[in-house]
Amino acid sequence: MRSRVRELREARAWSQAQLGERLEVSRQTVNAIETGKYDPSLPLAFRIAALFETSIESIFFPEAPA
Amino acid sequence: MILSPFRSLVAVALLLAGAALLLPRLVPGTPRDVGIILFVGALLLTVMAMAHRGADPDCDTASPALTRRYLRALMASMGAYVLVLAASIWLLKRVDPPLLRAAVALAPVLPIGFAVRAMVRYMRGLDEMQQRIELEAVGVASVLVSMLYMTGGLLQSARLVHVAGDVAMIWVFPLMCAVYGIAKAFVARRYR
Repeated sequence: MRSRVRELREARAWSQAQLGERLEVSRQTVNAIETGKYDPSLPLAFRIAALFETSIESIFFPEAPA
Repeated sequence: MILSPFRSLVAVALLLAGAALLLPRLVPGTPRDVGIILFVGALLLTVMAMAHRGADPDCDTASPALTRRYLRALMASMGAYVLVLAASIWLLKRVDPPLLRAAVALAPVLPIGFAVRAMVRYMRGLDEMQQRIELEAVGVASVLVSMLYMTGGLLQSARLVHVAGDVAMIWVFPLMCAVYGIAKAFVARRYR
């Protein structure tokens, strides 16, 4: 799954570790989400969306175009 | 020098291999099985070291506080296990009533139970991606060890190998732990 997590994080000048702290996950998990190697669970996706004050579907996109 | 997982594993593997080679020479009469067990241990640790090679030094995503609590609990349980096991072996040579013998023989399971409790608490404290890595690694370890035992069982029923039942049963848990460690290093690579 593709995501805009890196873009949104960098816009706020947060490091991966800082974002991880805010989401209560590790820096490695943030990195894996940003690189598309790990798809977050629905509760974590909601936490990410709430943190960036936007909707889940504006952050995460399916890999292949619909 | 930084004590990376790779260096620590290589160091322990070398120590075990050295012990496997030197022990029979230094202590005459050491059972051959002890050397084999040490050598297999060294081999498993070498594979684990190769899997960890080039990994992020903090490839485990657990928080330092969680890891500290886990390692403290694990080391205390394993230390207690070694002591209880030694006492159990010593007592089994001197105790006759069957019920007492059963209690003495099963005593080492208690500290292992504490080690398992520490593992479960550690896994519950991890974040969701690490929990997934742990789950995949445990799954791989269960399948591989089951297949190994099934293969051994088939070879044994064909009378091609002979492994004593007690040895086979005692080695299930250490084998699971070792294969889980190796599998975890490989599974974690997929998320890096």
